Amino acid sequence: MAVMRMGYAHVRVTDMAEAKDHYANTMGLYETHSEGNKTYYKAWDEWDHHSVVLEEGGVGLVKFGWKVEYSSDLDEIEKRATAFGVTVERMSKGENPEIGDGIRFTTPSDHVFEVYHEATCIGTEVGTHNPDAFPRHLVGVGVPALDHALITAEDPGLMDRFLTAVFDFYPTERVQTSLDSDADIIATWMTSGNQIHQLAVLAGPNSKLHHFAFRLGDWVEVGRAADLFSMDDVPIDIGPTRHGITRGQTVYFFDPSGNRNEVFAGGYLAFRDRPMSVWTPDALGKGVFYHARELNDAFTSVLT
Amino acid sequence: MPTVRIHPTGEVIHLEPAETVLSGLYRAGYSYTVGCRRGGCAICKVDCRSGEFSYDHPIADTVLDEDERTDGTCLSCRAVPTTDITIELRGEDVRLVNPFLRQINEKARLRAEALAAAPAGPTTQE
Ligand code: FES
Ligand SMILES: [Fe+2]
Repeated sequence: MAVMRMGYAHVRVTDMAEAKDHYANTMGLYETHSEGNKTYYKAWDEWDHHSVVLEEGGVGLVKFGWKVEYSSDLDEIEKRATAFGVTVERMSKGENPEIGDGIRFTTPSDHVFEVYHEATCIGTEVGTHNPDAFPRHLVGVGVPALDHALITAEDPGLMDRFLTAVFDFYPTERVQTSLDSDADIIATWMTSGNQIHQLAVLAGPNSKLHHFAFRLGDWVEVGRAADLFSMDDVPIDIGPTRHGITRGQTVYFFDPSGNRNEVFAGGYLAFRDRPMSVWTPDALGKGVFYHARELNDAFTSVLT
Repeated sequence: MPTVRIHPTGEVIHLEPAETVLSGLYRAGYSYTVGCRRGGCAICKVDCRSGEFSYDHPIADTVLDEDERTDGTCLSCRAVPTTDITIELRGEDVRLVNPFLRQINEKARLRAEALAAAPAGPTTQE
């Protein structure tokens, strides 16, 4: 049983023209499809049809798509989610363009998840036959891929248990009220494989999006991204800096509708048998922003 | 051009054409609690005590509910005053973070005063 990755983030935008300018010209995503009030994108090193969907009208998250390794995983996840007490519905091929049959449910945190096994393979921009290191005509930041997201939930501990039970995720790092066994979980960073996190959950209101992140290679690329944000008048929330948690290098910034995005580089390799790192609230500032060592106003309050 | 008066401290900010409240305050050197600056997070709400404004982008229902569209709530990063307005911040005062920029606002004030004092006659130019 394996969830391979967050396959797509589907978000609302208030103004499609401005959003397209941001995701295509600043971030460098490739438009693969558009219909009605939706536009579909992939990044250059992704092969499936899309990883970002923009929907005009409102702000915030519509849903996340998760791609599983085997079609039998869909049945297994349906069974596990149902056992957890969540209502699961079947979704059929084509409900999302170029995405196969799957399942859909609303998590205990009121976020909509879709799980699927098949997506139309477009291929990466460098192909598979003697591929070059990167496409030479990247636009803007030229992000290679969608990486992870952070959502908020009234009960992050419940989401930790849910993602463990249903997706077979494991936590790589947590923020807890203390090191005692009765501690409450304030935030959790979870993954299915070696990626340091695929989804993090922070205490806050249900159904909200904190950010979704694109992958970059290293500090230099993160710094260059921040330079481009200044050139394009993209509001930067914080960074370039490092997260103590995950050790990733980061810039938090906002899309033209106010959805928070991130570019994220690094982060150490995660393993199921690696002892989990635990942060306590006294060091949370350093855990989130390793250099400023204190949270900014926006970290816990600015959500869409 | 419209002005923004901050109640109760009395600062007056002179706006550029089509400028938002947030942009005007920052351009005059002031800061207050803001988040996305793009109309999405609802953190920058202030109360409009008098005057008129409109929004330069559609605002999501999750950001402004129906009541807030008529009760004087002003999402300052998207609100463009159409008349002089008076606003009150929620639970804080503006902070002057860049005193050099205040000189620019001061110049705008002097120009506006000179314009108002000019004898009536052929339309004065900018
Ligand atoms: S700063 Fe986010 S809505 Fe104005
Ligand atoms: Fe992140």
